[in-house]
Amino acid sequence: MSISWPLVIFYVIALLTLCCAVLMLSFRKVIYMALTIGGVFVGCAAVYFLLGADFVGVAQILIYAGAITILIMFAIMLTNHEAAEPPLSWNLKNVASAVGCVLLAVVLLLAVRSTNWPGGGATTDINGGNTNPIVIGLMLFKQYTIPFELVSVLLIVALVGAVILAQDRKEDE
Amino acid sequence: MFQYWNPYLLVAIFVVLGVFLPVSSIWVIGPILRPNKPSAAKQTTYESGVDPIGDAHVRYNARYYLFALLFVVFDVETLFLYPWAASFHKLGLFALVEMLIFLFMLVIGLVYAWRKKVLEWN
Repeated sequence: MSISWPLVIFYVIALLTLCCAVLMLSFRKVIYMALTIGGVFVGCAAVYFLLGADFVGVAQILIYAGAITILIMFAIMLTNHEAAEPPLSWNLKNVASAVGCVLLAVVLLLAVRSTNWPGGGATTDINGGNTNPIVIGLMLFKQYTIPFELVSVLLIVALVGAVILAQDRKEDE
Repeated sequence: MFQYWNPYLLVAIFVVLGVFLPVSSIWVIGPILRPNKPSAAKQTTYESGVDPIGDAHVRYNARYYLFALLFVVFDVETLFLYPWAASFHKLGLFALVEMLIFLFMLVIGLVYAWRKKVLEWN
């Protein structure tokens, strides 16, 4: 009996990631939620590595597991984080959002299954002989120039917005 | 296939060791070796040898968030610099201009933050 090792490793990673996600939802203290969301980010990065997208995996660890988790932590520390969330109750709002999430998952799954992905499975090299960052660089700076420059606009908006918010806060004190 | 998996096998071994070593030393080997004589003073939170004041769950200054956000912005910038540098030989002058525009936009943000005195710590 031959075992497909990538598949086995995928299921192990998926199980760990889903465990982190379920823990995140079941924890009632926000700081534990922030820690487990870090675990989810690392699990996603492992899936990217498994798919051969090395650069995206590194980016996921660097930006999401590193910077975004820290940002969430700081945001929690600024606010009232001693309060624990009350236990889950099945009211109309929660049921509606649960149904909405399941429907979204079904739609996404159908979309993924019906899309004709280029490359034709694991047999072809999507990087075309180059290393992963080089291919991403060529795509980014030749084909997607405008989106790349828009990223800088997005970053500057986030920065200026945070500065303005922090200034307001300082005047209050 | 083995060629592809080989580097990540090392990463997997590293992760397993990284989890196993601290867990085994804190919860398995440590309790066997160390003496266990707890007292009230030993059980308090360590705060550089001084008696801790108040709760650990204090609210931090909003300034910390700004520094974290600045870090995220320049982290993303560094991330974009890497594929640019890797593929620069195949791209040429146009990519240099593109990256200079990108960097210029972020420098505007940094100068703005600087002028608004959010980088000063007092």
